[in-house]
Amino acid sequence: MDWLSNQIGADWARALAQFVGINVGFVVVLMIVAYTVLAERRVLGFIQGRLGPNRVGPGGMFQPFADLLKFIFKEEITPSASTRFVYFLAPIIAITAALMPIIVYPFGPEVWLPFLGTFPLVIARFDIALLYVLGITSVGVYGVALAGWSSNSKYSLMGGLRAASQMISYELSLGLSLVGVVLMSGTLNLYDIVVQQGGGGGVLNWNIWSFWKAGTCPQIIGFITYLISAIAETNRVPFDLPEAETELVAGFHTEYSALKFALFFMAEYVNMFTVSMLATTLFLGGWQGPFVDVFPWIGIVWFLLKVVFFLFLYIWLRGTLPRFRFDQLMNFGWKFLLPVAIINVILTATVLYFRWS
Amino acid sequence: MFNLLPSVPQLLFVLFGAMALGCAVAMVAQRNPLYSAISLVGVFVSLACLYLTLQAPFIAAIQVIVYAGTIMVLVVFVIMLLNVEEEVRRPLRLTYLIPVGVLLAAVLVGEAAFMLSLGSSAPTPAQTTSGSDVGLTASIGTGMFTKYLLPFEVTSVLILMALVGAITLARQGRTPLFAAPGNVDEEPAVLTAGGDVAIKPGDTAATGRAYAREQIRSGDAAAPSTSAGEEER
Repeated sequence: MDWLSNQIGADWARALAQFVGINVGFVVVLMIVAYTVLAERRVLGFIQGRLGPNRVGPGGMFQPFADLLKFIFKEEITPSASTRFVYFLAPIIAITAALMPIIVYPFGPEVWLPFLGTFPLVIARFDIALLYVLGITSVGVYGVALAGWSSNSKYSLMGGLRAASQMISYELSLGLSLVGVVLMSGTLNLYDIVVQQGGGGGVLNWNIWSFWKAGTCPQIIGFITYLISAIAETNRVPFDLPEAETELVAGFHTEYSALKFALFFMAEYVNMFTVSMLATTLFLGGWQGPFVDVFPWIGIVWFLLKVVFFLFLYIWLRGTLPRFRFDQLMNFGWKFLLPVAIINVILTATVLYFRWS
Repeated sequence: MFNLLPSVPQLLFVLFGAMALGCAVAMVAQRNPLYSAISLVGVFVSLACLYLTLQAPFIAAIQVIVYAGTIMVLVVFVIMLLNVEEEVRRPLRLTYLIPVGVLLAAVLVGEAAFMLSLGSSAPTPAQTTSGSDVGLTASIGTGMFTKYLLPFEVTSVLILMALVGAITLARQGRTPLFAAPGNVDEEPAVLTAGGDVAIKPGDTAATGRAYAREQIRSGDAAAPSTSAGEEER
């Protein structure tokens, strides 16, 4: 690092390091996502009493790569009356908005490496990390809405409209369920929020049930509302109305094929991964866990274990739950989830006020 | 060897400034309203990036969340639902406005030139604010809930009024919020020739049967094969 700084200046050295870090992060996340897809197919197979893909490689280990090759070599079909430019833009927006938030999640404490010195295991560490995540998520609506509109198909349009209205509605309760954690920690920096959940007491310091430490209030309501709205935000079962195959063929990506469809597919799983990471970071203590003080690198293991738990929960739900009806979905979001999230904010603020004074 | 490199903030400023300008021009020049809306989103996002380089991260985040993420989504929604057609080029009306426009543009360019000539001697914003907490989340929150509490609350009441107004307008066609004379669409009862009430208001099944009978009588629909068919629903 020092040598590089001397050559091109400290600013450019930092920019270069960030650039490398971001790209490595993207590759790692996309690999994890590929294996999430495989895990989903195997676990769904197990739940439904069948085998799932197990032919390509040992236990189906190379299935994601076979799928990718197939996606690449399929024919690209563009609907004749589509709005061409928007039709190409929509999957790009979807995957970009899905990938951008991953850089702010801390996946480990400060570690030491030869030549690099001491550094925290997070790609970008800045003060408004949480707002950044929410902002990028709200831009992600465009990918879905524009895909539905530009395909010039009634199923796509219905799916796109449903997805967009669903995402806008559940974004509110998603954001509000995080306010309790922000009130407790007094910062929007995700790294600091994780650090605050450590110290003596171990697991009991996690935001979801921490009550013993000064200035905290258990966020169990916030956690549950976050979990539900996150499932709706990623358009997964039981809230997967945008792609309800019994009525809308495949929703907003009905007219998409080959690599453009693959981009939407990847975006959905990357979104799943990021909301799992956010839940882990804010409610379950991020990389905090036993032995992190002694051996910092083990933080990565704890972090990944918690994220994998959430991913498994997602797949489990998909295997067991039926689909909501659209009016039920809207009523649930606006008349139940949002008030509960607001009540959680008021409760947390009241408890914190009395605990501070 | 690397001395020719611009500094990172300079590069970012040029990059996002050019993006904002390009998107702004595209927004005005496009004839398809949806393309204009997408260009406007591009302007908002690149402006947010410029705010970031000016050390105002909170404003940048709010810019993206509120403008790009919420308001423009609604605009795109409306364009999609109304299926607005591409604008056709029309002959220019209001030609006397052209000199006014040229004059205003000249004033704007002159103002920009004046500010640039000032700026060459004054410190750049990044230097003056780097040490202070202006633009950070905490300072904005403190200011909003202490010094500027009244304007903040008044603004929220204003937004609440807009919300209530929108709901009132949207509900006007359906069940009225306040039952007042002239506000309720009275449905008159259908009377027989003798003056008895044949169908009460709101009896949809009865009106359906009456409509079916009328259709059969006028020959628009075939009569049911069994005589009991008329009693079935």
